[in-house]
Amino acid sequence: MIAAAVLLTSLNVCGSDIKIIANGSVKMDSISAHELRSVFLLQRRTLTDGSSAVPVLKTSGADHELFLKQYLDRSSDEMRIYYQGLVFTGKGSVPKQFNSDAEVVAYVAKTKGAIGYVSADTPTAGVKILVVAVAGSDSERILITRVEPAYPETLKQRDIGGIVRLRVTISAKGNVERVELLGGNPILAEAAESAVKQWVYASSHSQSVAEVSLRFESHP
Amino acid sequence: MHRRSIQLTLACLFVAISQISVLAQDFKLWNRTVQVHGFASQGFVYSSGNNWLTMNSTSGSAGFTDFGINMSSPLTDKLRVGAQLYDRNLGQLGQYHPSLDWGGVDYRFKNWLGIRAGKVKTTLGLYNDSQDLDCLHVFALLPQGIYPVDLRDTGIAHTGADLYGNISLGRRFGEISYTAFAGHHSDSIYSGFAYSSSQDGVMFRSIEGPQYGGDLRWNTPVKGLLIGASRMNEKITGKGSFMNPLFVPQPIPYRMSTEAYWRNQFYSQFKWRRLELAAEYRRYFNRFPCLPGSDVSTDARSWYVSGSYRIGKHLSVGSYYSHYTVTEVSGGIAALFIPTQTDTSLPRNHVYDKVVAARVDLNRYLYVKIEGHFMDGYGIGPFPNGFYPQQNPKGFAPNTNALVVKTGFHF
Repeated sequence: MIAAAVLLTSLNVCGSDIKIIANGSVKMDSISAHELRSVFLLQRRTLTDGSSAVPVLKTSGADHELFLKQYLDRSSDEMRIYYQGLVFTGKGSVPKQFNSDAEVVAYVAKTKGAIGYVSADTPTAGVKILVVAVAGSDSERILITRVEPAYPETLKQRDIGGIVRLRVTISAKGNVERVELLGGNPILAEAAESAVKQWVYASSHSQSVAEVSLRFESHP
Repeated sequence: MHRRSIQLTLACLFVAISQISVLAQDFKLWNRTVQVHGFASQGFVYSSGNNWLTMNSTSGSAGFTDFGINMSSPLTDKLRVGAQLYDRNLGQLGQYHPSLDWGGVDYRFKNWLGIRAGKVKTTLGLYNDSQDLDCLHVFALLPQGIYPVDLRDTGIAHTGADLYGNISLGRRFGEISYTAFAGHHSDSIYSGFAYSSSQDGVMFRSIEGPQYGGDLRWNTPVKGLLIGASRMNEKITGKGSFMNPLFVPQPIPYRMSTEAYWRNQFYSQFKWRRLELAAEYRRYFNRFPCLPGSDVSTDARSWYVSGSYRIGKHLSVGSYYSHYTVTEVSGGIAALFIPTQTDTSLPRNHVYDKVVAARVDLNRYLYVKIEGHFMDGYGIGPFPNGFYPQQNPKGFAPNTNALVVKTGFHF
């Protein structure tokens, strides 16, 4: 029997109209909103995984305003004055800025540590997408429909069990869009992924990322 | 003529900038991106009661100009170099003697440790390092009790090094930013302190000395709330000459040196959407021997509360109340010449300033500010606070009202 031990750490992801892109040198696949903010406010030059962090902005546009509002809580004019404050006191330089998504993608692709943002439907060949996680006490997604994974007989008979950890991307509607293996036995993981893909969560205003742990115990 | 040429040149630049869009602010040099930025402002002051800030402001004065230009380049993802030149004229001060505002290198080892070396703007309180950057503020003049524009040079920068960094305390406890600095400061002989001393026959050639201190600020878990504290210790040695027709008809060498000189500053800022609130308290104390066996101690305490609000994309309004008091205690024989002043209710020992202001951003480069000051007192002492006997030879009126109109551009 499978122990119904599910550890859920839910994080909200904002900004469904834009996506955050990064140079391939950035090792992490997700970034916290706090860290992203620190990068663009030039308060840090390296990420928690040790990668360089070089912010890249757009000069104007709806995507630009949305990014600034959601992640930096500033308008474009306020952002410009913030950067000028650093420039005129000798404590920073204005990050690179571009007019179009294509230019942002091209620059991010060739610049070590570059992190930028483009509209959600922009082609992003050559760069990686970073999932932004916002930690919040009110961010738990409620699981409505849960499907138990099928314990592979061959492993069960041999008393092979363990914990499978998955990163689950949940759409605003509540469907599981993507499942990524974080750790665990590969055969158990296949069963876990197959079940989790059928889970249904309560709807929310934006996409979420959650970490799920499923325990397989042959003798509960 | 020199001043008029500069003002005319700036006026032409203002008109030009309002018509064109300045897009190119960087260029390549030896395959490195070099950024260029600049700013300039021109003000007009009219006052009733007293002449203010060494201007003949009771007749209206446009002697309120400053400008700067900088270049910087990130050489690697951790190393940056740059420099900024600055020049200004404020009434009888500044007089268009350009200076290096800041310049040097900045290397960020880790997020929690970086070093800046060269001439570095001093981090003290909310606005010490940016007090002369008019384009960054809603107000044409920051609270003069803490950021006196006539005494800009005292403590705004040092030649030395800073250690700085950000330390995250987690989502529950926010983030700490720190700066520790040490170096040498050299005040301009065209500043308010030197000008004020000149009325007593002292002509300074140099005003300088060591300076060290630190700043610690806490970005609290409450969104938009910042709390901080700063401390700076200095030693000032002034050298020059002294001449007084009554006592010393020929110039003789003059030297003064402070025995104690420190500042404490506490501050808080809250930003919420378009609203910004700030409050600061500063105390500075200095003591210097003036005659054998005697000394003079000055204790100046000031605080302000301010608020500003952004109405739409182009208009911001603001107001502040600034409270400045100064006491002076003379010891020994000095008391015969410099009477002790401890009654802060006297106009000569305080400046209480009520201010209302508005800023209009005409476009992303040009702005205009209009500001009213309603001042009670004139705070005259060893360190002046905006009011000088040279511009007020008939004595001081207890109150001063002033209108400041300022325009500027930045790129």
